[in-house]
Amino acid sequence: MTMTNEIHARAEGLIAKERVEGISAAEQEWLGQHVRECARCSDAANATQEALRALRTLSVQVPRELAARTQFRVRLRAQEMQAREPRWRLIWMMCGASWVGGAATAPYVWRGLEWIGHRTGLPDFVWKMGFGVWWALPAIIAATILLMESNERGGARSLDDAA
Amino acid sequence: MADDKKMLAQGLRRRDPELLDQLIEQYQYRLFRYLLYITGNTERAEDFFQETWIRVLERGHQYDGKFKFEAWLFTIARNLVIDWQRQKKAVSLDAMTNPEEGAGFEIADEKAESPLQLFLQSESQERVQASLAQLPAPYREVLLLRFQEEMQLEEIAKIQATPISTVKSRLYRGLDALKGLLEGSAA
Repeated sequence: MTMTNEIHARAEGLIAKERVEGISAAEQEWLGQHVRECARCSDAANATQEALRALRTLSVQVPRELAARTQFRVRLRAQEMQAREPRWRLIWMMCGASWVGGAATAPYVWRGLEWIGHRTGLPDFVWKMGFGVWWALPAIIAATILLMESNERGGARSLDDAA
Repeated sequence: MADDKKMLAQGLRRRDPELLDQLIEQYQYRLFRYLLYITGNTERAEDFFQETWIRVLERGHQYDGKFKFEAWLFTIARNLVIDWQRQKKAVSLDAMTNPEEGAGFEIADEKAESPLQLFLQSESQERVQASLAQLPAPYREVLLLRFQEEMQLEEIAKIQATPISTVKSRLYRGLDALKGLLEGSAA
């Protein structure tokens, strides 16, 4: 077989492809035969094999106690999260109850605010806005608590890091 | 296998402390090695190692057992490193993760000594380590995931949040560069 540059390039491409994504049986057969006959591509195949072997034999030493330290930190964080859980459950239950109550009483509140608005001579948009605020109140409270909670957590984490 | 993943997902949802302890032990080597490869720094790899497990505890409910746990774990670790890097430098995510656009992702080592040198013992390993340290982090990362972790291309693409074609191209370039560096260092 006449060895052209295209043939060598194909062989080198297949050598890498074989490792990266795999090659077909026919390609494997062609490559095997070519590598047996071509010293240059045989060297290239060996170099690839050597690079991968070297890579695979690389070992890393995990710092002593890293796992134990991490386990300790994770347990602490888990305890902290667990301590917050009942508080959260209560907040969500209150939010849920508030939404249900809000939905059930919405028509009455609407009529009540409308009556007050007309009695006091307020423009419509004012009492309608009041209704909007009343409706969004549970969400506003929940968001405020969430914000306070995350600030508290951020502070705790910074202290942790500083320690 | 699928049952194992399901049980793992349930345990993570429950924040089962025994399970977490066991996972930390089980994956300590692989996670630390991965973090060391992508950060190139021992101390940072240690910090990110701990943060990754805290994140696993906090976000355990998000693991649905559809994919390998290690792929999910590495994704968390990688995102933490990228977030940190993003805060540190005002550069785009693409620039950090795309070696063709510069080596932004590679965390500059403040110490003169290469971090991997602290870990590798034999002389031949030092040679490989020195060559690896010269590769851009995304190349090191794909080489590790493909040839040490023996992950499928799809899994690597998921971890790196890039198309498979990008993973392949990084693998080809990384392998080629590593070969060149090893040959150069042997000469």
